[in-house]
Amino acid sequence: MRGSYWVRKLASLAATLYATVSFNFLLFHVLPGNPVQLLARSGHYDAAARRQLVALFELNHSLLDQYVIYLNNTLHGNLGFSYVYREPVTTVLGSAIGNTLLLVGTATFITVVVGVWLGVVAASRANSLTDATVSVTSLSLWSMPDFFTGMILIFVCGVWIHVLPISGIESSGLASGGLAHVLDIARHLVLPATTLVLVNAAEFSLITRNSLVDTLVEDYVLTARAKGVSRRAIVWRHALRNALLPIVTATALYVGMVLGGAIQVETVFSWPGMGLLIYNAVEQRDYPVLEASFLIFAIAVIVTNFASDVLYRLLDPRVRRT
Amino acid sequence: MSLLEIRDLRIDYRTESGVLRAVDDVSLVVERGDAVGVVGESGCGKSTLGLAIPLLLAPNATVAGGSIRLDGTSIADLDERQLNRLRWTTVSFIFQGAMNALNPVQRIDQQILEAIRIHEPETSTATARARVVELLGLVGIAPSRAASYPHEFSGGMRQRAMIAMALACQPALVIADEPTTALDAISQDQILQLLRDLRRRRGQGLIMISHDLAAITRVCDRIVVMYAGVIVETGTTADVLGRRDAALGTIHPYTRALLDAHPDLHGPRVLAPGLSGHPPDLARPIVGCRFADRCAHATDHCRAVAPALVAVSRDHDVRCHFAVAERVT
Amino acid sequence: MSVLDDDVARRPGVWRDLWRDRMGRSGLIMMVAVLFVVLVGPMIFPFQSQSFGTSSASILQPPSAAHWFGTTELGQDVFRQFLLGGRISLYVGVFATVIAIVLGAGLGLVSGYYAGWRDAVLMRITDFFLVLPTLPLIIVLAALFGQSIVITSLVIGLTSWPQTARIIRSQVLSLRERALVLRVRSLGASNYRIMARHILPNVAPLIFANLVLVLSGAILAQAALAFLGLGDPVQVSWGTMLHNAFNAGAMSTGAWWYILTPGAGIVVMVLAFSLIGHSLDRVLNPLRRSQR
Ligand SMILES: Nc1ncnc2c1ncn2[C@@H]1O[C@H](COP(=O)(O)OP(=O)(O)OP(=O)(O)O)[C@@H](O)[C@H]1O
Ligand SMILES: [Mg+2]
Repeated sequence: MRGSYWVRKLASLAATLYATVSFNFLLFHVLPGNPVQLLARSGHYDAAARRQLVALFELNHSLLDQYVIYLNNTLHGNLGFSYVYREPVTTVLGSAIGNTLLLVGTATFITVVVGVWLGVVAASRANSLTDATVSVTSLSLWSMPDFFTGMILIFVCGVWIHVLPISGIESSGLASGGLAHVLDIARHLVLPATTLVLVNAAEFSLITRNSLVDTLVEDYVLTARAKGVSRRAIVWRHALRNALLPIVTATALYVGMVLGGAIQVETVFSWPGMGLLIYNAVEQRDYPVLEASFLIFAIAVIVTNFASDVLYRLLDPRVRRT
Repeated sequence: MSLLEIRDLRIDYRTESGVLRAVDDVSLVVERGDAVGVVGESGCGKSTLGLAIPLLLAPNATVAGGSIRLDGTSIADLDERQLNRLRWTTVSFIFQGAMNALNPVQRIDQQILEAIRIHEPETSTATARARVVELLGLVGIAPSRAASYPHEFSGGMRQRAMIAMALACQPALVIADEPTTALDAISQDQILQLLRDLRRRRGQGLIMISHDLAAITRVCDRIVVMYAGVIVETGTTADVLGRRDAALGTIHPYTRALLDAHPDLHGPRVLAPGLSGHPPDLARPIVGCRFADRCAHATDHCRAVAPALVAVSRDHDVRCHFAVAERVT
Repeated sequence: MSVLDDDVARRPGVWRDLWRDRMGRSGLIMMVAVLFVVLVGPMIFPFQSQSFGTSSASILQPPSAAHWFGTTELGQDVFRQFLLGGRISLYVGVFATVIAIVLGAGLGLVSGYYAGWRDAVLMRITDFFLVLPTLPLIIVLAALFGQSIVITSLVIGLTSWPQTARIIRSQVLSLRERALVLRVRSLGASNYRIMARHILPNVAPLIFANLVLVLSGAILAQAALAFLGLGDPVQVSWGTMLHNAFNAGAMSTGAWWYILTPGAGIVVMVLAFSLIGHSLDRVLNPLRRSQR
């Protein structure tokens, strides 16, 4: 029955993607207050321009036709035309997607490593001073808005001790491609990535800790102790894999969070990614860019969520063969 | 030198409502090849006693008094590393495998292999694997099923796999805590049969913990009856069972109530007639006999003074004031 | 004795346990302090009117006797903005949380109690909203529908319920079996009655624990919105202050008071509620309880 599982899973993925695209259409094209109406009604345009606008956004069609056109466009990667950049949205998004991936990917990797490690340390010494310190520090970091953490880092590293670049992705005047260029980007990456790590690793370590504490009282952990397995091996070999299961299921929440964080962090550090694009789009009311960015974020979450389902099946044999 | 020698053991749990003494003044000797059954109601301290032997108690538990000697060594003197070396090689456990005692994300053969790997690092992988197959065969699990995950086994099979795992390092003593609970009647029967055969063939010492007296009598040659943290009666199975119709004083009223719960020991269990109410709260100091509140024969003396464990015959002790009375007359 | 009595009886203990827990107590104390500053502060320090700086000398000044927390880029008193701004942050947080909890707990209760097709449909919808990235969605909605504090509250509230719904549902599912036993016993008890009398009281502590966490999340979301320029331009919240500070270059000019004051406000307020939530989680989870 393995095949049918994947068929069901892929069908569900497709349904969710379809629902997301439709939801986006609903938000940006149907609900009152949608940007197209706002623009068309606003006094900034004369009759001719308004007609052009109406034609451009296919407002002369019925809602259903607009929906079909929209679906068709989206399916073909046609995400509209930016008001501000006067370019297709896909062109505008181009390099931004890669930059955000670099930032979020790096931050996520470090977050997982640091978060799991801290969670294990706290849970292995549950209710000790170390545990309390990790928990309180994590909660405090979690309570800081991402942008505020970023501002503090800028203050400390950029203003007090000029050690790291605090803005942008590269210094001007460097030939692209060389090692110097890569190192330059890496240096620019440090602070924004650290900000994301601080906030997210805090939460990650708390969740890992709690899940691990719950796992360490399971019967099979007692069996392992009775077998003479060392404390370290019990945590890493027996408990952690079980403890990570509920965390893997929360991947969607994590990705949603880290993308929300990326918007703030990219804004603070002028990191030219999707987040900064969203910030600028909001400021300049560049709705097509906003719309496309949101759609891409949503799809990113859905796809990673799907990937986490697959990972879950690898980690938990109980799901694999049922 | 006895295999296991427990003297005046006391174990406390720290809880939010104070200190709870789960095991009080328990003494027990197990010789090589002995099979001892520990029976009693839920919460009387059976598991606590069993877990104390390889010092596997919960973090909030403390050994408040007494000693445990395995092969003459006091386990209180061992550090974590030495304890780990002793675990599974000298004392192994059969937990309620039907529940959650096996790691759900590891294959059965891997879990057994792990025990061999830890304690016999010099054994080659091939030899260890062969041993795993042999062990599983011993409990009736085909080699083709060895690479299964726990959830792919039935409750009975999981329990048998647990037994195979317990035997992996040829321990001198196996402690089986509720090995048949939560299994259907046929699986229960298989497990009991298996435990009996193993003991006979491999000469392992066995402590079987259960609230099911019938199960214990089928496997064990000595019975320890616990009530509210103390041993109220201990003797050979034949001795204890032989007294079921005897006069008060040769058998503890609590044991009798347990026996009455199984009219023919193999028939269906009925609620013990005349045994109502609950055991006392162990977090509070107890005055007098612990069983007095539920005993039909209790006198004011019983309620005021705690009885001692006294011998009513060779190898048969009872903790009851009436037991004293009989010996005196 | 009802089947559920034991659980209900434990409820008064939750508060006691919360106070006994070190984290819980710190959270409660911090919460009282924050509420005092935010609700009573403006009454103790009544500021007549917004005093704009008249000369460049009063712009971005460090703390002094006249301006305890310094001045803004327009020469306004930071302390005054701080006291008034907390109210806005709290107002949006509470308003949004009420919406999210009513929606989430309501859906969770219905879904868990009735099970069957209603559950399937509701959870499908919940899961859809659960995977939508929350903050980006909030940003989009705020950009589309406006940025007054009422709309901000609605937007945050309407996007913060799915997790609550999931959590409450699974708890109700586990209570349901027992509640149905009860139903057989007290023949004729209506669904409504069982839900109100037996299920709701048992999930109430869980709802409360969740409420505190949603509240911290909502305050953070509001701060992020305001920082990104989607705050109410008239009602200056702590997030708006940080937005202004950022745009006024407070970081490069070293105006730490302008950043740390509202920032600390947000952190302490959020931390107070998350400490309580975290502690409640431990208190309500018997496994972790026995571990203490
Ligand atoms: N970790 C613990 N913390 C506090 N009290 C405990 C702990 N473990 C057991 N107890 C208490 O100690 C007493 C003895 O428990 P134990 O598990 O040894 O009983 P048992 O005879 O094995 O019961 P059962 O048949 O239910 O397994 C009980 O009152 C129990 O509530
Ligand atoms: Mg037990």
